[in-house]
Amino acid sequence: MADFIETAASKDSGPPPKYLAAWRAAGIESWRRRSLPTRKTEAWKYTNLRPLEKAAYAARPEADGIDEESLRPLIDIPGLGANRLVFVNGTYSDTLSDYDCADGMTVVRFADANGKDAETIAAHIGRLIDGERHLFAALNDGWTEDGVFVRIEDHAIVTTPLHVVWLTTNASHPFGVAQRLLLLAGKDCEASLIEHFVSTEDAQQVFTNGITELHVSANANLKHCRLHLEQPSAAHIGGVHVSLDRDSRLNSFHLGFGGVLKRIDAVVHHRGEGAHCEMNGIYLPRDSQQIDYHTTIEHAVPRCTTSETFRGIIADRGKAVFNGRIHIHPDAQKTDARLSNRNLLTSPDAEVDTKPELEIYADDVQCAHGATVAQLEDDSLFYFMSRGISREEAKVMLSFGFINELVDRVPVPALAEYLRPRLVARFSDPGLSRHIL
Amino acid sequence: MSEQIDNLIQKEYAAGFVTEIESDTLPPGLDEDVIRFISGRKNEPEWMLAWRLEAYRAWLKMVEPKWAHVSYPDIDFNAISYFSAPKSAADRPKSLDEIDPELKETYDKLGIPLHEQEMLAGVAVDAVFDSVSVATTFREKLKEAGVIFCSISEAIQEHPDLVRKYLGSVVPRKDNYYAALNSAVFSDGSFVYIPKGVSCPMELSTYFRINEAKTGQFERTLIVADEGSQVSYLEGCTAPMRDENQLHAAVVELVALDNATIKYSTVQNWYPGDAEGRGGIYNFVTKRGVAHTNAHISWTQVETGSAITMKYPSCILRGDNSVGEFYSVALSNNRQQADTGTKMVHLGKNTRSTIISKGISAGHGSNTYRGLVRMNPGATGARNYTQCDSLLIGDKCGAHTFPYIESKNPTAVVEHEATTSKVSDEQLFLCQQRGIDAEKAVSMIVNGFCKEVFRELPMEFAVEAGKLLEVSLEGSVG
Amino acid sequence: MLTIKGLKAVAGDTEILQGIDLTIGPGEVHAIMGTNGSGKSTLGHVLAGRDGYAVTAGDVDFLGKNLLDLDPEDRAREGLFLAFQYPVEIPGVSNMEFLKAAADAHAEYRGDEAPDAVSFMKKARELCTVADIDPSFLKRGVNEGFSGGEKKRNELLQMMLLEPRLAILDETDSGLDIDALKVVAAGVNEMRAADRSFIVITHYQRLLNYIEPDFVHVLSRGRIVKSGDKSLALELEEKGYGWVDQEVA
Repeated sequence: MADFIETAASKDSGPPPKYLAAWRAAGIESWRRRSLPTRKTEAWKYTNLRPLEKAAYAARPEADGIDEESLRPLIDIPGLGANRLVFVNGTYSDTLSDYDCADGMTVVRFADANGKDAETIAAHIGRLIDGERHLFAALNDGWTEDGVFVRIEDHAIVTTPLHVVWLTTNASHPFGVAQRLLLLAGKDCEASLIEHFVSTEDAQQVFTNGITELHVSANANLKHCRLHLEQPSAAHIGGVHVSLDRDSRLNSFHLGFGGVLKRIDAVVHHRGEGAHCEMNGIYLPRDSQQIDYHTTIEHAVPRCTTSETFRGIIADRGKAVFNGRIHIHPDAQKTDARLSNRNLLTSPDAEVDTKPELEIYADDVQCAHGATVAQLEDDSLFYFMSRGISREEAKVMLSFGFINELVDRVPVPALAEYLRPRLVARFSDPGLSRHIL
Repeated sequence: MSEQIDNLIQKEYAAGFVTEIESDTLPPGLDEDVIRFISGRKNEPEWMLAWRLEAYRAWLKMVEPKWAHVSYPDIDFNAISYFSAPKSAADRPKSLDEIDPELKETYDKLGIPLHEQEMLAGVAVDAVFDSVSVATTFREKLKEAGVIFCSISEAIQEHPDLVRKYLGSVVPRKDNYYAALNSAVFSDGSFVYIPKGVSCPMELSTYFRINEAKTGQFERTLIVADEGSQVSYLEGCTAPMRDENQLHAAVVELVALDNATIKYSTVQNWYPGDAEGRGGIYNFVTKRGVAHTNAHISWTQVETGSAITMKYPSCILRGDNSVGEFYSVALSNNRQQADTGTKMVHLGKNTRSTIISKGISAGHGSNTYRGLVRMNPGATGARNYTQCDSLLIGDKCGAHTFPYIESKNPTAVVEHEATTSKVSDEQLFLCQQRGIDAEKAVSMIVNGFCKEVFRELPMEFAVEAGKLLEVSLEGSVG
Repeated sequence: MLTIKGLKAVAGDTEILQGIDLTIGPGEVHAIMGTNGSGKSTLGHVLAGRDGYAVTAGDVDFLGKNLLDLDPEDRAREGLFLAFQYPVEIPGVSNMEFLKAAADAHAEYRGDEAPDAVSFMKKARELCTVADIDPSFLKRGVNEGFSGGEKKRNELLQMMLLEPRLAILDETDSGLDIDALKVVAAGVNEMRAADRSFIVITHYQRLLNYIEPDFVHVLSRGRIVKSGDKSLALELEEKGYGWVDQEVA
């Protein structure tokens, strides 16, 4: 596996924005010093990185020959009315993007940033990430060509969501993409961010390395959704790193279909008293797909709260990994943190490995976690069947019921509406979902 | 309030004294000659020596595990003496009366009056002082039932076929670093065989002690319950105060054949080190049982001692309908660190497991639950229920929960719940307002917290366990 | 029985009791009324020795001893009982175990022998009938999963078992329906005796229809602003707390 380190390090990522050149070089240097994790590495115990080795992913994507207009149906979310930035194979698409800066929200691409924006980006980028724990962040640093910088003014109430789409297409050779987003939310502000990863329906040869950093200032309220709806052959290793200041609130939603290699680390740092984090997630691997969510909530200060719920339905030969860590530091008294992870296995060959972790160094806290693994209950199925509903349809209704509660909690309503039929389609024929939609 | 806690936590180790008996002790260090010496002293057959040497060679190639949530200075395995026996070993006492009076006194100070236990509780006691068994009682009565209960050294001589068949069958020699070390140098331990269809007529019990300074203790216990048999085995231990850390790396293997039941209970109160974390036992033990069809294995443990504990009594639920249980209370006070839990590996159909773990952290103690529940593809209809609760007393301790759940069978049901709470000021004030002092109140609350586990202990152990917790927690109130 | 002189107490930086004077004779029932935040519950907590309050001035004499010098458990053993407004749950510790521990501690303090388990249990069961508690509650965790009314009746049961010299009932009536209120009041009346006194802290006059007080005191901003007999309670009910404040002003 040592090969992948060097191959990836030598990828031609084009010229960096000047103000990030030194930072990018440091990223590559740091990456070169590492070795790829093995199954003995606790954080990668259940997820195999062999797919990275198989395809080199080190080339640049092809630039031409893409009919961007034809991609519109893949990225439109009806009723969302969002500001939209679209990157196709890592390159910004002017055709598909449509945004203006209003209501106190400024959006600047890394490639375009200069002056004060460039200074701010350079000052904040990478600051939330523990490089020791998040190896692939160094590679992301080293690969970054472009990215999205979002700044929300103090007190701004931004009603229009920001929709950032990273779209990939089929290519003649494997290639790598670095996705990067940095958001600074000012005091008392409110905003919604949707990160949307999608691809064309044909087989992909892409490895996306994603990093998103969200700085939420005092009393601000940020809604964040990260959707992984790529074609299964697209590989993705990504991280979302959040810091929450005093009394701020994060309401986040994660959704992942499985793939050849899909790993998301979501890390939230409670840094100011009274902050609240709600994090919900759904994962739905099927066929031979896998997906791995690692979440970490760091309670470093008193009186913060966390409510985290992840649910997964694992079908066919699919495999899911969930690791939910809640870490209560010595000073974080009066913390209230709860984590629930529930899994449905719908096939004899499906597998789930779940590990909810509590690490507690403060005494005046309320913490609980729970995890379950099961299949649909016979009693419930029978109840449906006794009312004349077929077993197959009952399964679909019950499966959807298992995750529907979390769909209802998606913080952007238009998005919930968009996702519902797509989720149902994950585990049913169209005819069987008629009573849900 | 927390000052009150701190004051109450401080309490001298009640079992801290050293018995002065001449020992026949090997100088520190480990090589193949040491293993030959141990094997030779025990007059072991050639196959046993070969078995030990193979384990030793495997151990040399292994690395010390570092994944547990504990920290301690590196162990110098060449500074440990691997054999120590009381001088009288060659000429073993025929009855309790022949026991070295000083040794008997040691037990008496610990509140383990051997002869009283023998007569009052009807318990057969195989007391292990350092490395060699020095007293075995009720041999005759057990013999009548066909039960074999003797030291493992004796079993190697008298029942070589049974030992050869089952030794290492549950915990292979190369299973882990400390199991390999134990396999190479194990000094003594207990052997139990319950014949087909026999219910062992009494509870079997062994009190372990570690006495000799700088002496590692490497116990080996093997319990085989043949088809349809039943046995309840109690293991209890306390150790005198010592400044040096002492390594204890035991291996316990349980074999429950079809329809057999083994209940294994432990009360562990080895020297935990002083309030600053000096001294204390390192308790790195491998305990595992295999349950065949319809068999039942139950581990119950109350762990209040040792400076560092890494211990995961486990069940391999091989046969269909087999049952595994783990009930645990682990207390970490002062600078104690415990990383303990269990593994339930479900292989057979309709296998069931229950895990109830209660961790109590006080002072600067660190208590970690680490558990694995694995549902293999064949574990159709299997079920697991896990509940692990942590209780925090004071604000400088830590409580951690790392449950691993791996499921590869959709019909298997796994449920895991964990909570963390503290002894609240409100609870203590209510008790005080009713005239109950804070220390007693904490002890009541802690006992209540542990009730589900104490219920599983044999009666006389339950009382001892409650007492132990009280002593271990004295000083821990808010 | 109890003499409070110039008692001042703070919680953090806030002075909650600003100079309380109160004398309670043997056999007397004193009602202390006041709005939320007047300091009436604090008075009960300070007398019982709860953490979180600091006494900054004043003396309290209880049966010839300086109450403020005693630890909370010793105040209890001297015969001071506080019936909590919100009794806390103690999971895992059974009610019976808890009651026996308390009774043993009291007996030991007095130098008496601990009550034997069998007759103690018998007595506890009998008192359950008086307190209208199902005896099965004795086996459950202290207050664990009890309803509000059950918790209050459990407080009554403990009071009857421990037979205090002075019982402070802290808003025992709040949240109780009329039937439960009658049970609690009947229990208290049963316990009234020449050598036993009560402080009944309440927001509402209703309780005093069932437990007839000898004296009524009105607490406002940490001081007793008006004292009288039971008619004061009725007057308060009629005119509201604002009336006292106006009159005092």
